[in-house]
Amino acid sequence: MKVINLIPTLMLTSLIILTLPIITTLLQNNKTNCFLYITKTAVTYAFAISLIPTLLFIQSNQEAYISNWHWMTIHTLKLSMSFKLDFFSLTFMPIALFITWSIMEFSLWYMHSDPHINRFFKYLLLFLITMLILVSANNLLQLFMGWEGVGIMSFLLISWWHGRTDANTAALQAMLYNRIGDMGFIMMMAWFTIHLNSWEFQQIFLTNPKNTTLPLLGLLLASAGKSAQFGLHPWLPSAMEGPTPVSALLHSSTMVMAGVFTLIRFYPLMENNLTIQTSTLCLGAITTLFTAICALTQNDIKKIIALSTSSQLGLMMVTIGINQPQLAFIHMCTHAFFKAMLFLSSGSIIHNLNNEQDIRKMGGLYKTMPITSTAIIIGSLALTGMPFLTGFYSKDPIIETANMSYINTWALLITLIAVSMTASYSTRIIFFALLGQPRYPPLTQVNENNPYLVNPIKRLILGSIFMGFLISMNTIPHTTPQMTMPPHLKFMALAVTLLGFTVATELNNMTHNLMFKQPSRMHTFSTMLGYYPTTTHRVLPYPSLTMSQNLATTIMDSIWLEKMIPKNLTTMQKTAASLVSNQKGLMKLYFLSFLLSITLGLLIAL
Amino acid sequence: MNPLALSLILTTLLAGTLITMMSSHWLTAWMGLEMNMLTMIPILMKTTNPRSTEAATKYFMTQAMASMMLMMALTINLMYSGQWSITKMTNPVASNMALMALMTKLGSAPFHFWVPEVTQGVELTPGMILLTWQKLAPLSLLYQMATYTNTNLIYLSGLLSILIGGWGGLNQTQLRKILAYSSISHMGWMLIILPFNPTLTLLNLTIYIMLTLSIFMILTNTFTTSMSSLTLMWNKTPAMTIMLMTTLLSLGGLPPLSGFMPKWLMIHELTKNNSIIMPLTMAIMALLNMYFYMRLIYYSSLTILPSTNNMKMTWRFTNTKHTMTLPTLITLSNMLLPLTPMISMLE
Repeated sequence: MKVINLIPTLMLTSLIILTLPIITTLLQNNKTNCFLYITKTAVTYAFAISLIPTLLFIQSNQEAYISNWHWMTIHTLKLSMSFKLDFFSLTFMPIALFITWSIMEFSLWYMHSDPHINRFFKYLLLFLITMLILVSANNLLQLFMGWEGVGIMSFLLISWWHGRTDANTAALQAMLYNRIGDMGFIMMMAWFTIHLNSWEFQQIFLTNPKNTTLPLLGLLLASAGKSAQFGLHPWLPSAMEGPTPVSALLHSSTMVMAGVFTLIRFYPLMENNLTIQTSTLCLGAITTLFTAICALTQNDIKKIIALSTSSQLGLMMVTIGINQPQLAFIHMCTHAFFKAMLFLSSGSIIHNLNNEQDIRKMGGLYKTMPITSTAIIIGSLALTGMPFLTGFYSKDPIIETANMSYINTWALLITLIAVSMTASYSTRIIFFALLGQPRYPPLTQVNENNPYLVNPIKRLILGSIFMGFLISMNTIPHTTPQMTMPPHLKFMALAVTLLGFTVATELNNMTHNLMFKQPSRMHTFSTMLGYYPTTTHRVLPYPSLTMSQNLATTIMDSIWLEKMIPKNLTTMQKTAASLVSNQKGLMKLYFLSFLLSITLGLLIAL
Repeated sequence: MNPLALSLILTTLLAGTLITMMSSHWLTAWMGLEMNMLTMIPILMKTTNPRSTEAATKYFMTQAMASMMLMMALTINLMYSGQWSITKMTNPVASNMALMALMTKLGSAPFHFWVPEVTQGVELTPGMILLTWQKLAPLSLLYQMATYTNTNLIYLSGLLSILIGGWGGLNQTQLRKILAYSSISHMGWMLIILPFNPTLTLLNLTIYIMLTLSIFMILTNTFTTSMSSLTLMWNKTPAMTIMLMTTLLSLGGLPPLSGFMPKWLMIHELTKNNSIIMPLTMAIMALLNMYFYMRLIYYSSLTILPSTNNMKMTWRFTNTKHTMTLPTLITLSNMLLPLTPMISMLE
């Protein structure tokens, strides 16, 4: 029987379909109204076609590589364009396409009044394409192209409303923090060039060199920048200045996932390096706890969800740190669904309440916006790992594996606290935004009956309910999970989540009508995002900027370039000139000078 | 002045210099110097006013003292070596004394004090003779006795001359004084190169004389003696203003003009002899000269000063004073640089 391997062909077809709308903008005026629909349809078709290779992969478990085009050779370093269609990329690509499809459809409703909506769609599409380049890359160069591509596109999209200062600074923050990470990435690329003379994944993993701590630390730095881990995290909450569809895309399937994805890609090197694993674990644990604490007291609905993304990214890092890349990957996939849905629902609320983002001014939305409310509740439950929703299939194994492994107890403990806090801040959104009495202006016209709004959310609801099961069913874990464990460990994840829910509900009920005389210090710490942006963006740069300015203006400009050289020289010449030409016609003195000179001259001779 | 007397005086002046240049015996050389000096005095006093009388007196006193010193040096040399040959000043005391006497006649630092005062005190034409022709006799003697001179004294005096020439000219508004200081610094350049390559001294002297002659002739043409009258020169002779500009730049040693050639060759010669610091210092100090030449250029041709103009558009009148030598001199003092390859014949 002749077996035709359809995986590469169909995947390439899917990728090529995505580029078609971009090409049309080169050929014709993209002011037409149909560009939006062309783009959305292209993404839909690409999704449908990309499903076939994925199903084929699930059925046959065959990975594929496309390596056709030799691009160029620098000395002995061969650079070719090649795609790696393995479990990770084949699973993630349809998911990314599905989510982008939903988000684009949602954007038709959300951005309909934007004058540059065509360009917006083009940016969204480019954002997706660069992410897919990153995901399917089979060598470091291609990966780097995708890496930088998502960086640039997120910069453009975050600063979409560039008339606003905050949007611009947020975009710059994203750019700058990612540049710090990129230094690590480039260092890693340089290390591999020097030591292995190759950027191909196969060669890197096959050679499996010793002493990989340095390049992997570079990779960890890069991922920390891209995935907003502690230290390089402030750009992620700031990125909420972008339009909501951008936030949804940024937080679910592109940009921030790139860091975690690249770490997962490199697990063959990481699994032998305990230093890196511990660093990843601790970094992830700190991030997940810190951002969860920050999320607890925020009032901006998008900011809460953004910080929850950051917290979940920390959880993925923890999972990578306990040497479970497959679990991290599953969490990444499941998280994409409910996070995209949470953002779309919050976008629905924001748009319907006339751009109101403060959860204190919402309330009672479960009556006026039933579908959105359903989506938020399902998303929050899935996020907290409620059994048999999508999040459960990734979060529960993560906590179980962490419980059963010989890891750093502190890291485990703070991760558990963060998991509990996830439930708390999710409760807070539900409590303030959906329940109780309306606190928004009475004349607000709330209407969610638009297919462009409802359909994407409905699709994502389905994904948030079932996808966890489907993905985890078809994933073979890298290391054998612990199958038996005592009940208290088995129920640990569920117990901390329930604890979080209960405590948050009780506290919210109790304190709903209470007013602080003045906020407590811990509360301020949380609302001010741990003072981290204040410190890194104001306190630390200030002295160095002041010193530099003083050095430049005082030492360089004023002293050297003005006083020391030009003015000093002028004064010297002026004094000398008036001294030399100060003759008063006294011949006696001239002859005295002659006498002295000739005496000295003769003394030399004698 | 009586034409007969003037012609006699001028021929004696020329004869004195020529006698000095042609003699190989110190006594005749000294005699020529004396003739030269004595005939110079009536020339300086062509217009009899107290200023020129004072200037002539100063000139006479300095030159007479220098001649006396020179004679003393010659006598000492005769005592020790028993001969009068110019090229054989073997006794160091005599040689140093003669050197300093000749430096006084040349007007190089620290014996330069008389130069600005005498030049400022006399008319433009006597000043021109003073700063050009009068340098020939002492320099020809130095050229001949260069072998036995004390080089340290020469360097010291040369560097000091360049520096004082630069500084002195900075504080002046009178053109004759400025040219006197310019002459002092050029004497410095000529002295420094003397121990290395005496021919270059002659080359520099030639170019210097041409440049100074051109400038003096331009100034004589419009009776310009100060910076303030220089600012009105454009009104009389616009073309000559431009010529003055290029000639001044040439005097400052700016490429691609003639004045660059001797400086270039001198710096080249010095660096060839592993002397780096000295030419560098000299070039930097020459910037002081360049600065006040630039100031003259600025006032004469780069700007129109708000000074009272009581002779509108005089450049429209036909110029009755035709100087035949001036165009040639200006051409030579500006455009000699391309002929530099011919210099190898001199060496």
